[in-house]
Amino acid sequence: MNSPKNMNARERARLAAEQAAARKRDRRILIAVIAAFVLVVVAGGILFQSWRTNRSPSAAPSSSVSASPLTIVNGQPIALGSLDAPTTITLYEDFHCPHCAEFEEEFGPVITQAQDSGAARVELYPMSFIDEGSVTAANAMGCAAEAGFGQAYYLGLFANHTLQWSDPQLIDLATKVGGSPSEAFETCVKRKAHADWVSSINAAADKNGVTQTPTMLINGKSVDIANLTPEALKAMITSASHR
Amino acid sequence: MTTEPRLAKAAPWISTGARFVVGGVFLVAGALKVIDPQSAVAAVRAYELLPTSLETIVGWGLPFAEIALGLLLLAGIATRAVAAATAILLLVFILAVVSAAVRGLSIDCGCFGGGGEVAPGQTAYGTELVRDVGLLLLALWLVWQPRSRLALDRFSGARTNPASEVRSRERSPVNRASQ
Repeated sequence: MNSPKNMNARERARLAAEQAAARKRDRRILIAVIAAFVLVVVAGGILFQSWRTNRSPSAAPSSSVSASPLTIVNGQPIALGSLDAPTTITLYEDFHCPHCAEFEEEFGPVITQAQDSGAARVELYPMSFIDEGSVTAANAMGCAAEAGFGQAYYLGLFANHTLQWSDPQLIDLATKVGGSPSEAFETCVKRKAHADWVSSINAAADKNGVTQTPTMLINGKSVDIANLTPEALKAMITSASHR
Repeated sequence: MTTEPRLAKAAPWISTGARFVVGGVFLVAGALKVIDPQSAVAAVRAYELLPTSLETIVGWGLPFAEIALGLLLLAGIATRAVAAATAILLLVFILAVVSAAVRGLSIDCGCFGGGGEVAPGQTAYGTELVRDVGLLLLALWLVWQPRSRLALDRFSGARTNPASEVRSRERSPVNRASQ
């Protein structure tokens, strides 16, 4: 390799200029490559998320809660579980609220177990304030309860909470959770048959002083979810049942 | 450099630390948001700053931009340019949080997933801003002092031509100490 010391001043200056130009060019290429890399990652990411939210739903955890058709009444929650259950767990949730999905992941199994054993009944207020998907999911939840597979559908909606909840996805979910996707259910989803009930649930939550989701009450008493563990919830349900 | 030999010696290591902290935080923050695309969009929507069509694109795309910048910072590739982009992004985050606080919104910044509305009085704008400003200062340090240790930047160009070889040897505190 040539050492700078063996060259004369002119050669050195020329070499230095060439090198400076080459470095500048290299830098430009590097920056362009990096900008392209970031753009490709972002564009690929957007496509990936678009696929994730538009794909079809998957199966959900099962529950043995009886599948009797319910009547949807404006302002009234959906009751899931035995009517003789000594404990009532009131839940205010939005199917697209991030903390509700986390709540269901952590505490859902305990609640389902209590419903299955007949210890507790859930009264679900499906609120809808996050986005369009909250509204379509809440409406479909009403349709599913009416069709007699409310419990399975409720678990299915949370198990697939990353989906945007288009009509085909909501109808597909009914099949996936073992409900019968009857003509009536499909029409109910597509026509937003329970639109009034959906807004009446929001109004009822407002009237009941619910300011955030998820909100949980056990036998009418508000539970501090922030400091709750699944074990503590289990104990609370047990002690509430024995009162 | 000769007037502040201690700074010259410490700067590449401070820059290395800054790269790892900012890069690590961006990588984690992005990854946590990628997991749940609905939440990410809901978190963007909670700021009430963008039109609906853009909320989805930003909610889905921004976490991947964070991951890409985080990886580039951790690897130490084109540190100055990447740190500048990171600083601009942090400035946008800071302005968004400030605007949410000023408008009296009760939201979680959604910086590490989650996000959306929280109960009044449950906001943490102060902590969120302190963290973001701290990260911004680290990013700006990197724009000022991009040379660092354990970085791929060292292998690009610097070793292939004699002129910069000489220069980098002069500047490199470790080489100087060993000579």
